[in-house]
Amino acid sequence: MSDLGFALQLMGIGMITVFLILSLVVLIGNLIIRFVNKYLPEEVSKKVQQVASQATDFNRKKVVAIVSAVKTVTEGKGHVTKIEKL
Amino acid sequence: MSIIEKLYQMTAIQEIVNGPGTILMLVIGALLLYLGIKKKYEPLLLIPIAFGLILANLPGGGMAVVSAENIQIDEHHYKNLFEIAHDHGIMNFLYYSLIKTGFLPPIIFMGVGALTDFGPMLRNLRLAFFGAAAQIGIFSVLITAIAIGFTPAEAASLGIIGGADGPTAIYTTIMLAPHLLGPIAIAAYSYMALVPVIVPLVTRVLCSEKELRINMKEMDKLYPAKQKIKNLKSVKIAFPIVLGIVISIFVPSSVPLLGMLLFGNLIKEVGVTVARLSDAATGSIMNTATIFLGLTVGATMSAEVFLNTQTIMIIVGGFIAFAISIAGGIFAVKVYNLIAKKKINPLIGATGLSAVPMASRVANEIALKYDSKNHVLQYCMASNISGVIGSAVAAGVLISFLG
Repeated sequence: MSDLGFALQLMGIGMITVFLILSLVVLIGNLIIRFVNKYLPEEVSKKVQQVASQATDFNRKKVVAIVSAVKTVTEGKGHVTKIEKL
Repeated sequence: MSIIEKLYQMTAIQEIVNGPGTILMLVIGALLLYLGIKKKYEPLLLIPIAFGLILANLPGGGMAVVSAENIQIDEHHYKNLFEIAHDHGIMNFLYYSLIKTGFLPPIIFMGVGALTDFGPMLRNLRLAFFGAAAQIGIFSVLITAIAIGFTPAEAASLGIIGGADGPTAIYTTIMLAPHLLGPIAIAAYSYMALVPVIVPLVTRVLCSEKELRINMKEMDKLYPAKQKIKNLKSVKIAFPIVLGIVISIFVPSSVPLLGMLLFGNLIKEVGVTVARLSDAATGSIMNTATIFLGLTVGATMSAEVFLNTQTIMIIVGGFIAFAISIAGGIFAVKVYNLIAKKKINPLIGATGLSAVPMASRVANEIALKYDSKNHVLQYCMASNISGVIGSAVAAGVLISFLG
């Protein structure tokens, strides 16, 4: 086969492979999201809701930021149960 | 008299007189240094490359990388590293141990992975397809380059510039056409630095104002996503592990690049428990790798290797590959918009090539010019990151067939 024919074949194979792999990326991503949503939903979100309902003076974004900061600093061990404005 | 003659022979003046190409190479080195230092075109890589080029062309310095024939003993045997260092100097020791073995590009990919956030892509997974469409430039230029006389391996190394990913371009060239490493690295990093010029240029030619005004957030409100991610951190940890295993089954030759990219990403996502590893990957290791990669790639560009018509064709071909890749992503969005209700801004297709995150930033600026509320950065990052995966897979295919 001529080099040009081979190059055309390579283009077909290459583009199909790239599309196939990125389709797999989409598929794998969706499957992981479904699995995590079903079996590992974030517990913090419930706690954030609890805290947010208690701390009415704070807006929700601030509560989320505080809970995330506590989680990061304590490596996931600490939980915010109450927020009071001093 | 003989003392004066000996003194003259000690200097490099006669070598400069004998080879005027050396002066031209030193001028090119100075120009690249100017672009890196003053214009800030990819300075982290362009400055080491330019200085490596200057070192390689200093007459009598012995810092130029010699061709593989010089270190080959017979068909299957090569000099060991000690012999290379002894016979050809320290730069050849670095080149043959770090570059020729294909060691540094995957190490840099590990750092890139540790700097990459897959979050935008996971939130907009369907946009990943545009990262595939944008690889068309690689294969289009491959065909054209073969038609004008490059060998398939050389043409593949030239085409991979269209992937807009420096480490991928360098890795592919090391594997397929190491004698073209210098010009290809220069072309790849120069065009990546010129993304703020090339993306607006291609977009202006191919997109209407109406298309560029498509507001992604408005579209999301009209057609909301079917599922929301309830635990993004867990998804981000599982994603590189599963993806790495699956890709290794389908395209094993892309594993050195993608495997390291995904490992780097994993240590970033695991968070504080391995923060030291992530810091090392993105800091000291990546910086060290960048210095040695730049210097040694620059040192491959001696006058006799660089000053030929092939280099000019690589510079021109690289630009065409880049432009076709951007156009491929835009056309894919246009086709999608013909059949889908939820329209997509073509700028998201334009960022399907790698060049993360500069391509996304440039696209976001263009979108904001047409509609000050249309922030498309997160959407562009989705196709941009998938472009990194796409170009590494394309490189894997080329290496499998031509390596």
